[in-house]
Amino acid sequence: MTSNNMEYLTIALPKGKLFSLSADLLAKIGYTAEGLSDKSRKLVITNEEKKIRFIVSKTADVPTYVEYGAADIGIIGKDVLLESGKDVYELLDLGFGRCHLMMAVPKAEKRDKLVDYDHTRVATKFPHIAEQFFNKHGMQMEYIKLNGSIELGPIVGLSESIVDIVETGTTLKENDLEEIAYILDATARLIVNRVSFKLKFDRISQMAADLKKILESEEA
Amino acid sequence: MENQKFALEIPYGTRDFLPVEAAEKRAIEAELAALFAEWGYDEVVTPTIEYLENLTLGTDRDLEQHLFKLFDKDNRTVALRHEMTTPIARLAASRLRDYPQPLKLSYISSAFRYEQTQAGRQCEFHQGGVELMGSATAFADAEVIALAIQGLLRVGLKDFTICLGQVEFVTGIMNQFQLPGSVQEKLKAAMEKHNLVAFGKIVAGLDLPQKAKDTLNQLPLLNGGEEMLQKSYALALNEQSRRALDNLAAIYRLLKSYGAEQYVRFDLGIIRDFSYYTGMVFEAYTPGLGFPLAGGGRYDHLLSEFGTACPATGFAIGIERILLALTRQGLEKPDQPKDVYLSYAAGQEAEAIQRAQQLRGEGKVVELALAAQSQEEAAAMQAAKGYDELVYLG
Repeated sequence: MTSNNMEYLTIALPKGKLFSLSADLLAKIGYTAEGLSDKSRKLVITNEEKKIRFIVSKTADVPTYVEYGAADIGIIGKDVLLESGKDVYELLDLGFGRCHLMMAVPKAEKRDKLVDYDHTRVATKFPHIAEQFFNKHGMQMEYIKLNGSIELGPIVGLSESIVDIVETGTTLKENDLEEIAYILDATARLIVNRVSFKLKFDRISQMAADLKKILESEEA
Repeated sequence: MENQKFALEIPYGTRDFLPVEAAEKRAIEAELAALFAEWGYDEVVTPTIEYLENLTLGTDRDLEQHLFKLFDKDNRTVALRHEMTTPIARLAASRLRDYPQPLKLSYISSAFRYEQTQAGRQCEFHQGGVELMGSATAFADAEVIALAIQGLLRVGLKDFTICLGQVEFVTGIMNQFQLPGSVQEKLKAAMEKHNLVAFGKIVAGLDLPQKAKDTLNQLPLLNGGEEMLQKSYALALNEQSRRALDNLAAIYRLLKSYGAEQYVRFDLGIIRDFSYYTGMVFEAYTPGLGFPLAGGGRYDHLLSEFGTACPATGFAIGIERILLALTRQGLEKPDQPKDVYLSYAAGQEAEAIQRAQQLRGEGKVVELALAAQSQEEAAAMQAAKGYDELVYLG
């Protein structure tokens, strides 16, 4: 069950908020399978007629499946892709799942300038991206890797700031946090294994072209 | 021997080859070395360490952070070689300068690069390859590509694809639209990082007519058979790109004479990770392996960096990657036979030694028991060590 198999195209989809958006988009170009759901107990869902396999996996694992070639193709947020540092083709910006990565601090303890936070602790799910960002500003930070509820960091005194993704800003408000530095924008990306892109080029490039057409027509 | 309670660590990115693995590695290297010799390539060996400035001559794109560096006793910075093309170019431009050209050189050697490691991609790895120096012809390029294909077949691979590109084609298109050097570098870096989204965004931001942008956006997607080459002529409205396509067509015609064209596809968007390439470039891919098996290309300016202008072309095959691909595809690996386990009862030592020498003289692989054994002990040892046959002198 690897992309070793030249006959099938294997697609890794992330559980969670990107799942239904991804599945709906793929369905528009005929890439779907019966029983495809992120609630399904089945881990691999196959469409025999169209020779497509879907793997539904934890978000952070999608780039790994694709880099190793266990999946030919994946859909994943740019934030997770960048943090993973995986070497894959980034073929299309799918436009959905838009959010941005930023640094936030408790309103009450806001300092004047970004560099005033030099050598303080920052809680984040994205230590690599955060480090690149602070390095660019000539800052050294202590990175505390958390896997969820990042905004809890400053509240319980674990860190002075957080680096996290924001969609609407509601969570920040509810926790009396204020964004003080923008880091980058992220949307969902279509990623492809380096070798699959070469060996299954005709099929994958056709798929990307079809998706691009759908995206452009929705934009217009 | 006392049992170790724990395995001792080895440095990040390195590996041990245990007996069977080492035999498979040696067998693959022997096949490649024999093949290179058959094609008239002479083997060379260069030092594992070189002066840093020699390895990084004429390179850019963050090579240095991938090198293992140390200081010699005079505090000069030396580095472990990260590939063999640069050391051999140094050799050809200096000590082999007066040898008759073309120079045909081959190597089987280790190289070192800091990498995020995974199976088939370690910091220390082994390569077999050739460098052909002193010819700028398509004939020379076709020879090294055909030899790379022959090498992959010789070690037992069946299903692989060579993607063939030409860096002058891409540069020609970029020059055609008068893109400044800094923009060209950015576009090439995005292609090298396989980031077509970033590539598209740079293109979208350029002050060019839509038709020109469409042409640029097609660059990473020009992958196909012979028809792709024809199609690409329509995009190439400049002499540089046309010449690049003519060059690929000439190489392809010669590959047909080698009977190797079924392994070859065109992929005009290939940007390889070393910036010294100046002409045709290629990579070999096989199902089930997430990165190229082999790669190479033409590098006509590298030798002049060392003081002697000389056109050159070549390739390297990753030995560990071949081993991994053969395993994953369930193919047979070249291996070393284990013919005879020779054992004996007490008092038969002299006969056993003579018999072992006689069998070895006949070309058999023979392990001689170090002390007398019973026939049952001998049979158990033969099975445990995997010998085909037991010879027992009772």
